[in-house]
Amino acid sequence: MDELVEAFAARRPSGLEQAYALWSRLFFSVARHIISDSARAEDCVHDALLRVWRAPNRFSGNREMLKAYLVTCVRNESLAMLRSEGRRDARELKAARLAPVAAVDAPTVDPVETQRLQDALSRLPEEQRIALTLAYYGNKTHVEIAQELDAPLGTIKSRISMAMRKLQTELASAQRGRT
Amino acid sequence: MTAHLGEDAELYPLGILDDDAARNVERHVASCSECAERVARAQAVTVSLAAALPLATPSPALEQRLRESARPQRNAKRPRANLFPLALAAAFALAFLGLGWQQFVLRGRLHSEDIALVTMVQSHFNHVSMSPQSANPVAAKILYARDGSWIYIIADKPGGSLHAIARTATGSADLGELTSTGETATLLVHPRKRIVSIMLQRAGANVASARLAY
Repeated sequence: MDELVEAFAARRPSGLEQAYALWSRLFFSVARHIISDSARAEDCVHDALLRVWRAPNRFSGNREMLKAYLVTCVRNESLAMLRSEGRRDARELKAARLAPVAAVDAPTVDPVETQRLQDALSRLPEEQRIALTLAYYGNKTHVEIAQELDAPLGTIKSRISMAMRKLQTELASAQRGRT
Repeated sequence: MTAHLGEDAELYPLGILDDDAARNVERHVASCSECAERVARAQAVTVSLAAALPLATPSPALEQRLRESARPQRNAKRPRANLFPLALAAAFALAFLGLGWQQFVLRGRLHSEDIALVTMVQSHFNHVSMSPQSANPVAAKILYARDGSWIYIIADKPGGSLHAIARTATGSADLGELTSTGETATLLVHPRKRIVSIMLQRAGANVASARLAY
């Protein structure tokens, strides 16, 4: 097993520290896109990482899988905070949803991957691309997307699921082309 | 085992499922390697989706907080008959209240805070000043038991109704509104979960925050 993954799964502080050192900007960028307040976005990263790290035997896999799992946890933690606070502060919820993905020329988390992603997204059918974009970048639930697009809930779930699977195939293919 | 996850496997990493559906995914993948693999593949896609997000860098303080949180907890036993810590806590509480918050003490508000004060001096406690969070912040402090059993928030010149929001390890909780008595506003709570940070809000806007170190 990868040294980092092993340390993380064994709940050694070095595992948490290494994961943070490698991916802190990714984690924080994910949280910050959802929570506009930096201090609370940091709370989300802190709480999500610590909860996963403290939970025994919750993870087995390679380094990339750990990274993806942690990104998911940070995103879910941030969305939970956004939705719980959104009930009291609809303005922030709205602001977060209107936040642009990345302005022109603004630095992104991974410029190389961004280009591959945009190519892959452009090859999706429009209805799938819109549904996925509203879900990930718009931080909307599938129920909200169904209402916004005036489509049945099952249809929206299918569009998003299909989009995710197609992206997975496209990105894997692009990765093989690079190597 | 229940039926396979189906489309929820791709929806889960996006965080768009409701709580029940998300918990169902988590339970299912614990015993179904096929679905666990499908969820893992979808999680990898979300890393690619995150690549296009605007780059943001956390403050150095976050790394320090994580290190401290990951540090092994000491299980020091407190001698039950040793009155020194209680005496010290009581002395500190009175000194703190006398020096830092003498306005409301001298104005006779102390009698209405008997319960809070008695609770405070009967156990070990910490205190922290809240950090301003807006251009129109509020000066506030938090006294809290080291065992997390109570928290007492004191705001000076609240300038309107103040609401306290707590963060725990698993989410957030609404502690309620501070009771205003003119120059100050206070709130005493006995939380059921360990609170890690508190945010004060005025009219929905954040005005002060603090993390609690136990």
